[in-house]
Amino acid sequence: MAAQRQASSASQTPHISPAELSYIYTSLSLPGAPIRPDGRSATQFRPLSAETDILPGTNGSARVGFADGTQAIVGVKAEVERTALGIEALTQAEQEEYAAETGGNSKSDGVKQGSSSGQGSWVQMAIEIPGFRDDDALPVFLAEMMREPLVESVAGGGEGGMVGGLKGRLVINRRWHWRLYIDVLLLSQPLSYPLPLLSLTTHLALLSTKLPKLKSKGEEDPFFDDDWDAAEYLYPRAKSTSTKPSSIPGSISVHKVRPPVTLLVVSVAENVIFDPSREEIAVADAVLAISVTHDTDSGRLKLLSIRTIDPPSRLTQPGVPNSENVATLGSTAAAEESVIINPSTGEEEVPGVWRPRRGGVKRATIAKMVKMVLEKGGVGEEVLEGLEGVEVG
Amino acid sequence: MTDRRRINGPPGGTRPPVFASSIKPTTVAAERPQRQRQPNELRKIFLKTGLIPSASGSSYLEFEPSASLSAARASPQSVIPPSSSLKLACTVHGPKPLARSATFSPNLVLTTHVKYAPFAARQRKGHIRDASERDLGVHLETALRGAIVAERWPKSGLDITITVLEAEDDRWWADAPDSHDAAWGMMNVLAGCITAASAAIADARIDCLDLVAGGVAAVVADETAERGVSAPRLMLDTDPADHRSTLSACVVAYMPARDEITELWLKGDISKASVGIDDKNLTHEALIDGAVDAARGAHSVLAEAVRESAERFAGLSSGKST
Repeated sequence: MAAQRQASSASQTPHISPAELSYIYTSLSLPGAPIRPDGRSATQFRPLSAETDILPGTNGSARVGFADGTQAIVGVKAEVERTALGIEALTQAEQEEYAAETGGNSKSDGVKQGSSSGQGSWVQMAIEIPGFRDDDALPVFLAEMMREPLVESVAGGGEGGMVGGLKGRLVINRRWHWRLYIDVLLLSQPLSYPLPLLSLTTHLALLSTKLPKLKSKGEEDPFFDDDWDAAEYLYPRAKSTSTKPSSIPGSISVHKVRPPVTLLVVSVAENVIFDPSREEIAVADAVLAISVTHDTDSGRLKLLSIRTIDPPSRLTQPGVPNSENVATLGSTAAAEESVIINPSTGEEEVPGVWRPRRGGVKRATIAKMVKMVLEKGGVGEEVLEGLEGVEVG
Repeated sequence: MTDRRRINGPPGGTRPPVFASSIKPTTVAAERPQRQRQPNELRKIFLKTGLIPSASGSSYLEFEPSASLSAARASPQSVIPPSSSLKLACTVHGPKPLARSATFSPNLVLTTHVKYAPFAARQRKGHIRDASERDLGVHLETALRGAIVAERWPKSGLDITITVLEAEDDRWWADAPDSHDAAWGMMNVLAGCITAASAAIADARIDCLDLVAGGVAAVVADETAERGVSAPRLMLDTDPADHRSTLSACVVAYMPARDEITELWLKGDISKASVGIDDKNLTHEALIDGAVDAARGAHSVLAEAVRESAERFAGLSSGKST
C-alpha cells in the first residue's frame, strides 16, 4: 500500500505481466489504426450516464457513471465572504478620501478595476478517493489540475457572458465575494485514472449551480432574495438562438459560457489515444492532461492548461528476452530474435519483450496531441457537444 | 490543512501601516520593479554541489537578484524588499534498501519532498506541507522519473528533499490580485527544483539518461507610461514581480541530449492576448519552445556544476588511495 501511494500521479501500477503489457502495446501501436482492448476507436469515449441536481442541500450537483461501474458525485456549495483588500486598493480608497477632503474632483477609475476581477483562491476543490488519504499526492494533484483551468479562464465577456470568467462572476462588490467549494467524491474504486470522470462530473455540477439573486445594490452589504426559484445560474444562460438542428429544443435556455473540461490523452508509439482505460494507460509512452474550453468570441476551442502525468509504464516490470534467459539459452528460438530500434522511443528492443519506458516525450508528439484536441471538429469539440446534450437543471 | 498542534502566527503576513498623508500618490507606482534584461536573457544561476556532507548528494541553487532588489539591498528605502530571488537546497539520500515492511518493487522507488521554509515567502508557510507544496513534489517526481534508469536499482529507494529558503513572488507585493492572478512564482520554483535535484542526483553518482534542466517562459503584459498596459510579449525566465500581469506561463523539464521533455506544465489563457495583434509568437507551442530554450540555458550551468562535483570526487578518491 505504501508503494502504491508513492506511485502518486501515476495512479496505481497495474498488476499486468510483461507479456500482457507487450501484447497491449503492440496492438495499440499499430500504425494508423490502433486496436484497443475494448474495441473502441482511438478517439472514442466510454459510454456514460449522467444526471444533475441530485443533492438538495447544495447549490449544484451532478453524478456521472461510466459503463465500467466507476461513479463520481460532485457537490458545489457557495458562501459569502468578505474580501481582503490589497494595499493598492486601500491606498486608492484613501486617495479618494483625500481628494474628497481637499475638494478634488478626481474619482479615479480604480473602483472599476477593484470590482471586476476576482481571486483564484476563492474556488476551493477537494477530492475524496477511496483508499487514499486526503493529503496523499494523487487527490491533491488531481484537485489542483482541475481547479487551475477553472480559475484560469478569464475571457468570456460579451453580452450575457461572464466578465473575468468564473473569478469575475464570484465578485459581489468591492468588499464581498462568493467562495465556492467544489467537493468531488469518487464512489467506486479508481479502476482507471479517474481524471476524465471527475472532470466531466465537475463540469455538469458547475453548470447546474445556482446562486441566490442579489437584492442589494452597489457597495451595500449583500442581501439576497430568499426565493430559490429566482436564483441565477453561476454560469449564465441565454435563450437558445442557435440555428443548429441539434437535440436541444429551442425553448430550453442554453449556457453561453461553459466551464472547461480536462481530457486525458495518451500516446502509444505514433498513435494518440483518448480516454484510456487502465490497461491502455499502463503501456502509454506519455500521458497528458489537457484542459480546454469554448472561446465565446471566436467560437473555437482554447487551451487553458497542459500537465504531464507520470506514465505508469515507467514502473512496470521488464520482460526477459530469450537470449538473456538461462532457461532458453542456446535454443534456436533465442537465436532468431533480433534487436530492433523502436522508432518512437529510440531504444533497443526485442519485439514482443516488454521494456519499461524511459525518458520523456518529444515536442512534436505534444504538439500533435494538443492539435487533435483543439482542431475544429476534433475531439475536444465532440466532448463539449456531447456534454451540451445533457439536460441540466 | 492547518496544523492544529502548534500555535501558529497569523496566516497572512503583517504589513507596516502606511498613512495616506505620508505618501505621495505617485511614489508607490514608481517603485515597481522593472525587468532590466532582454526578453530572451536569463538570470544568472549559482549552483554548487556537495555542500551537505551527511547526504549522498546535495546541491544549492540561487538565482541572481533582480536589479531593483540589489539596489534596495545596497541602499534600503523601505523595510519591504521590492522582489525576491529563488534560493533552495536539495539533498538526495540513497539509493538505499527499502524498509522491511515495504512491498517488493522491481524499480527504484523515488520519493520527492518539496518544503518551503516558514519564512520563504511573504505569506508564512506552516510546518506541514500544504497543497501547493505537495503538488510541486508530484511535478518534480514526474520530471525526474523520466531521467532515472529505474530498473537498475531494484528494491531500493531514493529520497529527494528540497527546502526552499526564498521563493519567488507570484506578483509584485503591492499589487491587488488582478484577473490573471495565480501562483506564477511556483513555476519558477519548480524549474529551480528540477535543475537543483538533477545536480544533486549526479552528485550522488546515480546514473541517468541525461541531466534534466528546468526552464520557464511566460507571456506577460507590462505597463508603459504612455498607454496603460502594453501588448503582451513572450519572455524567458520571467520574474512575476517585474510585470504588471502574467497571462500564461510554462515550465518544462528538458533533456537536451535526447531532445525530450519529461515534465510539462502550462497554464493560463492567451486566447485574448493573441486576438488584437498578429503575433505568431503567442501560441502554446511558442511558449513551450521558449521554456525549452530557457532550460537549455540552465543546462549549461548544470553541466558545469556536475563537472565540478566529478572533479571533487576524483580528487577525493585519488587522495584516499595514496
